[in-house]
Amino acid sequence: MSFEMWAEKYRPKRLDEMVDQKEIVERLKSFVKARNVPHCIFAGPPGTGKTTAALCLARDFYGEGYREHLMELNASDERGIDVVRETVKTFARSRSIGEIPFKILILDEADNMTSDAQQALRRTMERYTETCRFILCANYSGKIIEPIQSRCAPFRFTFLPREEHDKYIKQIAERENVQLLPDGVDAIFEVCGGDLRRAINTLQAAASVNKPVDAKLVYSITGRASPADVQKMLTTAIKGDFLGARKQLRDMIQKYGVAGSDIIRQIHTEIFKATEIPEPWKIKLAGIVGEIDYRLVEGSDEEVQLSALLARLVEAGYEMKK
Amino acid sequence: MYAAWTVKHKPASVAEIVGNTEAIKTFSEWIKSWSKGVPKKRAAFLYGPPGVGKTVTVEALAKDLGMELVEKNASDYRTEEAVNRFAGLASQYGSLFGSRRIILLDELDGLTGNADKGGVKAITDIIKTAQCPIVLIANNAYDPRFINLRSYCILIEFKKPAASEVAKHLKRISEREGIQVDENALKFIAQRSEGDVRSAVNDFQALAQGKKRLTYEDVSWLGYRDRQDSIFNLLRMIIYSRTSASAKQAVDMADVDIDMLFEWIYENAPEHLTDPHDLAQAMDALSMADVYRGRIRTTQDWSFIRYVIDYMTAGVAMSRQRSKSAGWTPFKFPSRIQMLSRSKAERAMKLSIGLKIKRKCHISASRASKEFLPYLRIIFKNNAEMADGIAKWLDLDDEMIAYLKG
Repeated sequence: MSFEMWAEKYRPKRLDEMVDQKEIVERLKSFVKARNVPHCIFAGPPGTGKTTAALCLARDFYGEGYREHLMELNASDERGIDVVRETVKTFARSRSIGEIPFKILILDEADNMTSDAQQALRRTMERYTETCRFILCANYSGKIIEPIQSRCAPFRFTFLPREEHDKYIKQIAERENVQLLPDGVDAIFEVCGGDLRRAINTLQAAASVNKPVDAKLVYSITGRASPADVQKMLTTAIKGDFLGARKQLRDMIQKYGVAGSDIIRQIHTEIFKATEIPEPWKIKLAGIVGEIDYRLVEGSDEEVQLSALLARLVEAGYEMKK
Repeated sequence: MYAAWTVKHKPASVAEIVGNTEAIKTFSEWIKSWSKGVPKKRAAFLYGPPGVGKTVTVEALAKDLGMELVEKNASDYRTEEAVNRFAGLASQYGSLFGSRRIILLDELDGLTGNADKGGVKAITDIIKTAQCPIVLIANNAYDPRFINLRSYCILIEFKKPAASEVAKHLKRISEREGIQVDENALKFIAQRSEGDVRSAVNDFQALAQGKKRLTYEDVSWLGYRDRQDSIFNLLRMIIYSRTSASAKQAVDMADVDIDMLFEWIYENAPEHLTDPHDLAQAMDALSMADVYRGRIRTTQDWSFIRYVIDYMTAGVAMSRQRSKSAGWTPFKFPSRIQMLSRSKAERAMKLSIGLKIKRKCHISASRASKEFLPYLRIIFKNNAEMADGIAKWLDLDDEMIAYLKG
């Protein structure tokens, strides 16, 4: 076993090494061939290879010295307008030395930028197109303002299909000499839902326990957001105990650091599995889950949003009893 | 339609003014004496606590007597030019047209410090030669700064009117507005105002506007305006409010910030909403309030705060349709805030580890602390060898390592 973060160790270096997003990779390769690239938006859920693709593209363009021609900024950490005015501009306007006449700026988590900063960015992109190409990575392209979207080539990243996911995880396990059992693979997929970074982190954490990696081990380490916990919270809510359910939610989020998006995804799954929920109610509840999911995406407080959902479940439970 | 009632129902005549009969009589006689020539004292100094009717008396009397009223207030006294302009007005009286004019200098307390010392002197100089009545108004006529000025004025004290008189005034307003009001509701508002008629009228408007009938129950929460009564009553007011307006008003009375108030409501509202529909409705309102907080963050447009307030106060209050009273349920301190303050140091630690991860893993520090930390913890607890390797790779210091192992 090696002693670094596997998610980084196994990050593909070249476009050729990328396991999925085949169409995207093909288009990116054609940019490299043409020695030109437009501004791009890489949109898609976390752990689907957006940053990786951007880094691979840069390496394919500039070779191993790619760092000199590349700047990585993270909008979550530096989201203000000042960053655009100072850092981005300074980088963007200086000419690149070498065969490729432009530099690349990767703006990660761009959907976290304020709209003011985005407006400033739009002007910078326009003005310095010749010397710098922008790759904006975002979970939701909808949170990027229209004028920027229209200046970028859009790329939509999707979760890895199950087979690809499994293949990749098993391959890493093999190389790291980790004994990974089939139900362990299932559990990793269930918990991470195709987010490869999380899947690899989960595998590494499970492997650190020095036992064969099975479903039980996976659930025990993944912040207890096991289906059983979510199920318990659902039942508590449907029975009418809002405060109890909220307490369980709080524990999951605060004590065990489970992400709100995980919980909501699991609630969604559980609703369709639960036998105590009458069939006609399931789709109604799914609609409510969807609405709350959307509000979460808008960047709201996880606990507040999820407890609003729990209150709806309490209401539904009450109606069902009638 | 939404004019302030203090303006809309301002006494049109001195006869309508609440209380202070003696003071008004003295003042009115002094003004009238001007028609027989310049009296011995050319200025009247009306003083007394806020909201008892000093300015209104001058305005109403001018109207009653058909005199022109020239009003100035504190900010106008500062520049020499302004003082000279009103000096000009003061000297003209009666000289040509026998015109009837009152010059009112309001808010004299607003003159401050040495900078305005000249102002008081200039005013005194003008009074000495004034050809028309000059009225000065301040809360405290016995301020040392006015020593010299006082000797040129007749001093008229305005006192707090009795609660019964304030109630009478409110009653008159309610009749004009066509609102039926319980007698003891009026008394309650009047008493609470402690003789400040203006604040009584403001309170009354806040409570009664748009209503057909105002009961004692509707007004009793007014008592909670007293600050030390604080957050508990504020919460009660929001959760049990029957109108959107009164629920929203709680925010103005709150000494806490909006986010803090949100936490209090979020923590406590559920226990007071016993009906599941009401509960779902209220939690949805809080959810929407939170959505608008997010929109403020992304747009940086703070005007959206009004929707946050609407949802978290009126939204919650109006959800309460079927719930029975929760009985005596004590309000609790928001447990999320407790956790937050407890974990402040922890958050700083998480962020500094996040920054280390960021350097290696192409991910933001905040995201890293969410997506990598939980796994690192497991690794650091279970596998010393792997932990050592990763600590070196990430360049973690001893404190960070201890935290991850802890």
